[in-house]
Amino acid sequence: MSARPTTPASPRNAKIKSPAPGTPLFGCEHVQLLLSNGPEVVQSSIQYYKMLLRVIFDNTAIVPQTTKSPDGAIATSLTSNWLCLQCSTIVPEEERPKHGQKKSHRFYVDSRSGSLYCQFCEDFVWDPTLEELRVRKIGTGSFSGRKRKHEELFADPVKDDPRYISSNTTTASCRADGLRGIYNAGATCYQNVVLQSFLHNPLLRNFYLSDGHQEGDCEVSHCLSCAMDNMFQDFYALETTNGYTAANILSGFWISEKKAFENLVTTKEQDAHEFFQFLAEELHERNGDGKRPETGSEHSCNCIIHQTFYGKLQRQTTCQSCGGVTIAVESFLDLSLGVDSLAQKRGKKARNTPLTLLECLDEEYIKSDKCEYRCRNCDSMQQARRDNSIKLLPNTLSIQLKRFEFKQGSRDKSASKIDTPVQFPLTLNMTPYTSRGRSADARESQELARSCTYDLLSVVVHVGEIDTGHYTTYCRVGEQWFAFNDHRVELATKSEVLNSKPYLLFYIIRSLA
Amino acid sequence: MSSSSSSSLATGKAGLIKAADDAGSMDKLAHAVLDDLLYNIVHDLLIKVHREEKIARASTAAIRVEKLAADASDASLTDARPDVKVETDAATYDDGKVLLKGNPLVTTKDILCPRCHLPRLLYPTDGKGARKPDPSIIYCKKYPYIDKPGYDIYGQTWVPQGPGRGKKKKDMEKKTDTPQDTPGGTPGPDDAGGKGGAASRPPNVLSFPSATCSKCKRCILVTRLNNHMGSCIGNSGRNASRAAAQKISNGANGHSGSQGDNTPPNSQKGTPLSGSRASSPKKRDSEEANSDDDTENDTAHKKKKLKPSAVNPPKKVILKTKNSSSGLKKEKVKGNSLLSVEQKIDDDDAEGSTVEVAPKKNTAKQPSPAKKLKLGVSKPSLSSPATKNGKTNSANGGGGGGDDAASESSGTLSSPPGA
Repeated sequence: MSARPTTPASPRNAKIKSPAPGTPLFGCEHVQLLLSNGPEVVQSSIQYYKMLLRVIFDNTAIVPQTTKSPDGAIATSLTSNWLCLQCSTIVPEEERPKHGQKKSHRFYVDSRSGSLYCQFCEDFVWDPTLEELRVRKIGTGSFSGRKRKHEELFADPVKDDPRYISSNTTTASCRADGLRGIYNAGATCYQNVVLQSFLHNPLLRNFYLSDGHQEGDCEVSHCLSCAMDNMFQDFYALETTNGYTAANILSGFWISEKKAFENLVTTKEQDAHEFFQFLAEELHERNGDGKRPETGSEHSCNCIIHQTFYGKLQRQTTCQSCGGVTIAVESFLDLSLGVDSLAQKRGKKARNTPLTLLECLDEEYIKSDKCEYRCRNCDSMQQARRDNSIKLLPNTLSIQLKRFEFKQGSRDKSASKIDTPVQFPLTLNMTPYTSRGRSADARESQELARSCTYDLLSVVVHVGEIDTGHYTTYCRVGEQWFAFNDHRVELATKSEVLNSKPYLLFYIIRSLA
Repeated sequence: MSSSSSSSLATGKAGLIKAADDAGSMDKLAHAVLDDLLYNIVHDLLIKVHREEKIARASTAAIRVEKLAADASDASLTDARPDVKVETDAATYDDGKVLLKGNPLVTTKDILCPRCHLPRLLYPTDGKGARKPDPSIIYCKKYPYIDKPGYDIYGQTWVPQGPGRGKKKKDMEKKTDTPQDTPGGTPGPDDAGGKGGAASRPPNVLSFPSATCSKCKRCILVTRLNNHMGSCIGNSGRNASRAAAQKISNGANGHSGSQGDNTPPNSQKGTPLSGSRASSPKKRDSEEANSDDDTENDTAHKKKKLKPSAVNPPKKVILKTKNSSSGLKKEKVKGNSLLSVEQKIDDDDAEGSTVEVAPKKNTAKQPSPAKKLKLGVSKPSLSSPATKNGKTNSANGGGGGGDDAASESSGTLSSPPGA
């Protein structure tokens, strides 16, 4: 512990986490020895661990991946190196025991994950104090407690201050994990899939489970938000494993009078995407500022639906003759991506390589197109270039792949379904599609990349024809994927999910910073 | 970026992907890089599982020793942090602090639920990787999910829906993973199950529940709920459909004049004579069954009429193609599809009889008929004499038998047509 470099001073005092029931105070006996050396050692050890985490996560990976051997040879490795917690040395795995022998330094940090390794235990240790810092760093890029932890989203909501909670609430059964099917009430699978992806959206779940919309306080009759509240309670508080009967949602749906969705309210099979729009607008109206979200304009609202789903799109029109730029900003609930046109553009030669989601996004939000437009400067119709980019990314990014299209045939027009497979990733980096991501230096920024990283949350799949078929959905709960087919819930593998033909995709932001 | 340095350059860390000895240096490098990446992937997976497991075990050790401490301290004091020192093999409790002894992965073999403090069941009870749980232990209720074809994650399965539920072959194929559904087409096994009722079913075989309609407060089988609400709350009641029918038939007049010019829409409500039906133009055929179904007391006739169509589905298919083949009428047919749906709701009231027709029409796989069928079958099968009729499904349509469906239909009839 002699060779410890000076650590950057921090105004806050680094402390060991106070003991919590059900958790040991330290990761292992040896960490305990290290952190029982008096407040100074505790302080500097924790600060130094933080600094190592910054080295690992904030900058290029080259630094922690590069080692210098005793004879001066410098090597960069693809596999993990080990950052000594007690001095500034970085050693490859083979050198680690030697360094420990020589310097009596026993704690190392994995250069790829930031995990702590104890050489006495010869094992990774998950010390509550240090591990919390690591999880926070990964999740939000900062150690500050004000920002949300990465894990909190997917972790047990009933966690903080157990005693207060236990004295004021009845704990839900360990069985109530929100995994239930929803019965098909007669061609309502298009509703079920959307409801399931709402149910497993952590943002909506936390809103409703923390009494965001209380049924008792709501005076609207047949309120859909109350029905949602009801449904969340049933999913996350009851032990029932049988399917759920969404009677309240259904009656709210039938009773609601939305002109825009008049055609939706039938006993026919319907479009899941339209139902998604309907539900979002309806819930916004119940929870938000009461204004109807207008398409084509910028609409800001603090309701849970806007916080969860809405982002902002920037349309920049550049006049080709005078160079004048017009910028229009509008809110969006989802991104609709054309599949057909792109598939045709690629033609026969590329038929064997499947379309990717990124290609579809490139087409819409990177490539610009030409249009006719009335330029105010020139006061005449001019050729103009249109660029679309995303000004504000939503917390939950909803993507619709336009699989149902009206084709104008030679003799008649008919709706058809485009069955082109589209590959989509588990993790999506949206930086290139944002307005900020266009500038070169922004592309380098880790911070920006972090705030534009999305993880796949659920996938809605349509099987069958244009006018009839069936919807199923895959939702992720923690790391596990589940397949929801009406009342039936089954385990799903990642490859099953990724091999499905998506219609709607829901991505959730990785860090809520 | 080069792969791992110095002597081990020839191979990556995992040592699984090796270049041939005589391979070029670029080749060797590529192999080494790939090998390292493989190593990293496995490393990341392992560390994730390791973390989860070790934290759970450490927490188990802590829960155990805390419990001991609580027991050892004065029972009357409900202090959350008893001032005692207790030790187990895995941890020490000292004045509110829990300190680990040794590696929890070694010292602690099971996992206690951090919420309910009961042991976690570590293996599923059925399906892939199943093991028999120790019956003497009360486990935490969070069980490992079951991975078994035909069953859901809780090991549940459902009473197969009735025969002829309007499912076509392709729909069946979709559910190949649920063998319970496949006998749906054959009435035999289903009937048997129905007769036995809930009592003879194993507990993990569930039947479809009922729900209360929020408007009329009647209990409706969940699979029919949407259709019920359509007629009870919504605008797709029989009146709405009639209005739509009128609209469309009026529109049709303009085009072809083939239909409805002399038939007031109201007449659809009545029982069209079979003769009149026979003489009605082809196009109406696709709808006729629907509109006819409004006749509540025409059971015998209908049975005769419909049975063949059920036996002989291609007939309707042909009809459909006839419709769509005529170029001009195509658009018209599309319009009809909308209408026919609404009319089908109509049929809710008249019960069942549409069922055989609907799937063959261009509205095709409407789940609604299926649900209807299901009800038609399961209910009568409880009171066995009706089963035979139930199978043919048109029995319900007769409005006889005080079963749920019939009572619902009468109710909907009595509900004011203002919807």
